[in-house]
Amino acid sequence: MTGTRSTILVLLTIAAATLAFWAVLHQISSLWLDVALRPEVREALARSMEDQKKLRALDPEKREEYRRRFDATHKLLNRIEVIRMNRAAMLRRFELTLLVAFALVAILAAVSLSIRYRRARERERRQYLERVTTLQETARRHAHEIKGPLTAARLEAERIADADIRQSVTEELDRLARFTREFSTFGGLGKPVLRRESLGEMIDEFCTTFAQAWPGLDVIPSVAREPGGVSRQASASQPRPHRSLAHARDDIVCVDRDLFRQVLVNLCTNSAHANATRVTLAIARDALEVSDDGSGVPDSLRGRIFDPYVTTGKGMGLGLAISRKVMLEHGGDLRLVESSPAGTTFRITFGELTCS
Amino acid sequence: MVTRAAWLIVLIAAAAFAHAQSRPAFTVQPGGVVAATLPPSVLQDPGVRKQLGSGLTTTFLVVARQREAGILSGARLEIRYDLWDEVWLVRKIEFDRREERQRITSREALEKWWRAPLRLLATGRERVSLQIDLNVLPFSAAEEEDARQWISKSGGVGTGGAGNAGFVEALIGTTISARPITTFKWNVALSLKEP
Repeated sequence: MTGTRSTILVLLTIAAATLAFWAVLHQISSLWLDVALRPEVREALARSMEDQKKLRALDPEKREEYRRRFDATHKLLNRIEVIRMNRAAMLRRFELTLLVAFALVAILAAVSLSIRYRRARERERRQYLERVTTLQETARRHAHEIKGPLTAARLEAERIADADIRQSVTEELDRLARFTREFSTFGGLGKPVLRRESLGEMIDEFCTTFAQAWPGLDVIPSVAREPGGVSRQASASQPRPHRSLAHARDDIVCVDRDLFRQVLVNLCTNSAHANATRVTLAIARDALEVSDDGSGVPDSLRGRIFDPYVTTGKGMGLGLAISRKVMLEHGGDLRLVESSPAGTTFRITFGELTCS
Repeated sequence: MVTRAAWLIVLIAAAAFAHAQSRPAFTVQPGGVVAATLPPSVLQDPGVRKQLGSGLTTTFLVVARQREAGILSGARLEIRYDLWDEVWLVRKIEFDRREERQRITSREALEKWWRAPLRLLATGRERVSLQIDLNVLPFSAAEEEDARQWISKSGGVGTGGAGNAGFVEALIGTTISARPITTFKWNVALSLKEP
């Protein structure tokens, strides 16, 4: 989707630049040719020839000299006349040649820029994956190292006689266990196994399964994004609103259903943390836009929200890192489209990978 | 009633005369040579008249196409008004490359020269169907080449820069050409059998 838009934008830019170039060129080339072919020039040359003819009668001794001048002027006039007769064809050819040359240069520049952009995106993707993979390995090791002492500590905590102290220690150990689980989940994240799935059906299923998962948060499917960014939403008053997606579109994507569900869970969890009351899942061609009406991402975090351990204080800060890694391994991506105090929108794209 | 009929006859005769004036007349010469007498209306065409006075060489290219055999043949007439001596310099090249040059001092003499038969083709057939195209070109090949050389030099072609020079020469070379200012077409079927 983004690629298509970029291509259209580049093509429109090239077309606009070519048209502007042609307009300027037309003015300039017409100008220089018309200056050379001005009627006054031809009239002056014709008068000069008449004068030479009159002079030969007045001064017969210099007849040959006047004849030479006459012939030279006549030759010049003939050349101008020949060019005048070919003016339109010459202008057309000249402009067309330069226009084609300009368009070729513009296309080459656009292709070159596009290749560089794609390479930069690919490099960034690779570096991100390498960084997250390293952190995954570290998290896995830490989780493994912590699990043993944690189990021992739990057993020891049960021996504490004072009930208040025991409860306090147990709560802290539980918190540590949760963190360890998250580390463990992050570290143990597997590679996606891609299958052909209907995006609409998956979202329908997700909205049904997770309808009550986050108290106070409605998860709503949306048919498509309409011009002006307004999504046609299935309202809560409709009997089975989520069913509309599967029947409205046939968006087949290559996806690991479980991992993709994990991505949606992470995004919805973040929305719940941001006090959102509603999350909308909108299919737009081969992308999925996840929007909420929460408090938004703080400005200070916006540039690095996909970095591991970057958090607003709720959670470990691994959800978005995991989600982006999952989508990158799908050949797609997860991007923050916009965020403001009125809400946040993420866009999930799917790659062109072939399914297993 | 009689007056009306007389007028009608006069009108038909006038139309027939005008039609005859606007078409070439053909004669068959010994050896199966077909010659055409071009109509004076060509020289009286406003565009042609204007071009004849320009000082450039107006070229009349006559192409005869034998429909049955698909053979092309033709002849060329060149007329240039010499503005210095105020005479017509004419040249005729017939289908067999026979060339004739003349210096003509008056418009009447020019029209007389124009009416002389122009040998177009030789054929062994008894009947031929011809398509005659007469293209009036505003200048000669030599004048075209001269203008091309001149504008190429004006564009800096002669002063160096071999790459650009080739490009500009190619650009101009394929652009400047003598496009017909007017074209006449006739179709005719001739019987060459001697009576």
